[in-house]
Amino acid sequence: MREAILQGLEQAYGNLVHMIADFLPRFLVMLIIIVVGLLVAFLLKYILRVVLNLTRLDRVSEQAGATGILRMANVSSMTALITHSIFWLTWIGFILLGFSILGVASLQGQIARVLQFLPEVFVAILILFVGLVTANFISRTALLAAVNAGYRSARILSWSIRSLIWVLTISMTLEELGVARQTVISAFSIIFGALMFGLALAFGLGGQDLARKALERHLGDAPQKEKEKEPQPL
Amino acid sequence: METEIAGALAEDTILADDLIRQLMSVGEVDLLVGITSPSNAPATSHACRAIEQCFQQRFTRQRAAIVIVCGQDAAGGDASAPASAEPAERDGHSGGALRTVQRVTADFPVPPSPGQALRTLLTAADLLRAKACAMLAPGSSELTPERVASLLQPVFHDKFDFVAPLYTRHKFQGLLARTLLYPMSRALFCSGIRELYSDEWAFSGRLAAACLAQDVWHEESIQARPEAWMAITAIARELRLCQTFLGPKLPPPAGSATDIVEVFRETVGNLFWCMESRRSTWANCQGTDLAQTFGQAQELTSEPSDLDPQRIREMFRNGVAELGSILSSILDPETYAQITSIVECTEGSCRFRPELWVRALYDFASSYHHSVINRDHLVQALVPLYRGMTYSYLMEHSQSTAEEMEAANESLCAEFARQKPYLTEKWNAKLEVKS
Repeated sequence: MREAILQGLEQAYGNLVHMIADFLPRFLVMLIIIVVGLLVAFLLKYILRVVLNLTRLDRVSEQAGATGILRMANVSSMTALITHSIFWLTWIGFILLGFSILGVASLQGQIARVLQFLPEVFVAILILFVGLVTANFISRTALLAAVNAGYRSARILSWSIRSLIWVLTISMTLEELGVARQTVISAFSIIFGALMFGLALAFGLGGQDLARKALERHLGDAPQKEKEKEPQPL
Repeated sequence: METEIAGALAEDTILADDLIRQLMSVGEVDLLVGITSPSNAPATSHACRAIEQCFQQRFTRQRAAIVIVCGQDAAGGDASAPASAEPAERDGHSGGALRTVQRVTADFPVPPSPGQALRTLLTAADLLRAKACAMLAPGSSELTPERVASLLQPVFHDKFDFVAPLYTRHKFQGLLARTLLYPMSRALFCSGIRELYSDEWAFSGRLAAACLAQDVWHEESIQARPEAWMAITAIARELRLCQTFLGPKLPPPAGSATDIVEVFRETVGNLFWCMESRRSTWANCQGTDLAQTFGQAQELTSEPSDLDPQRIREMFRNGVAELGSILSSILDPETYAQITSIVECTEGSCRFRPELWVRALYDFASSYHHSVINRDHLVQALVPLYRGMTYSYLMEHSQSTAEEMEAANESLCAEFARQKPYLTEKWNAKLEVKS
């Protein structure tokens, strides 16, 4: 009886030692990979920051109105966004690689899925960002054009354009991520169609006079007459 | 001569083979006049005749040529016909020219931009070793032999390098030139050229060669309006500039009023670009070198006009209200606050004081330098403020005489010069990120 207990304990101890002996090197390798990943991520971040500063990306971003959007998300500049993104993407990649070394079967499946999903997340962020910058630029262009042409409520026009591009961007982003794909497409089609149909009805039926005046203003000689009421600048 | 031209052409040239052949048959010239030919062929024919009469009457012994820069218009018509038109009949009273005036046609597949047209003329002038050149745009003024001679003579006889025109015009026309382009360029570049942006000007072969050598021809600002840059290049190289009186400036034909935003892009955008590219020139100059004027000084007339000041005021108020977020990112907070206070004033009491106008413009110029927002948007955002200044000007000078308006203009120029240190300070300041 006593011998059987001792033998059991000995076997358990042996298994434990074996498990530790098997796990510890893997754990150390994982730690090394994570630390090396951290160093590589820092190095990449530094190199990228130098390169982006040389290309004056922040100035271009400021001109395009992208920096304003970034500031809303508490990000100081485009360079900061890109360098931070690359740092975290690199390090997370190394961390996942490290975890896969541990050989935990249930973890490995999850890690593989996360790694497969990462490029889609990256593309989705890119779509979102480009969409927001485009919305900002085009809405500002419309605002300036409308104000200088003497239209009232230019801000409403600008806001509508911005909202429309935002809706399009968000639906594209969600579709890229595969979140409720069918629902998103249907919702977008319904919202967009309803918006256009509503505008057409409001403009063509509810505001017949306004529509006629607007068309006359655009296609008739009214714009020229408006311009002639201002002094020739040169 | 032909060997020399052929040698020069062995290098890379922008000229087409056909144009090179035509230029080689011309040989060297003393005078070269370039005209841009829009689809309006009769105007071009009239301009060619006026130029030829000018040569026959005023430059009888000089070798002269006309370069017609034209392109296929949108309708597919070719504006090159004037090149083959009958030359002007010799004027018996002037004795007639001793040499034949040559006509050369530079054909482009599409109508060339003013920058392309000028570059073609400069290249031709360089090849033909022209001493005095002029660039004209038929239709922009009533072209007469006297006008052409007024432009060419200061270069050919008095050895000036750049000749700008001066016109008679209504006291409320050309306000952008009088309230912004002239006083600002005078304060910055220390040169009293009134019509820095014009469709007709003259220049020396020396200036042509200096401009041709610069690598700026791809720039959008130069493509649209190269004349001010040419004048500023002359200033930077300490060449001689003058202005010459040409007579009345023709108003645009009915139904073709200028788009103010486009004018701002081409002129104000160009001036800001020149400030950016000629930083050392304006930073180092002090005082004003009033350019010599041939003929009478600028003349203002005051016939009744059908301007609508209330509409202009409304557009100013609406513009400042709608563009609040953009203007606040461009202007200094104090300047912005003062402008918004003008917007709130009652009708008739709105005055855009010169010091505020100058300060706002210098804020815009420094923001353009720092690229606070997209530069094209920035220039467009200035239009409502200009309308405010225009309204204020119309109200203030509704009963003013030409002398009083000239005095007011001088005081505006002095204000631009007084606040120049403010511009320098803002220009040199590090970009402050506004939240």
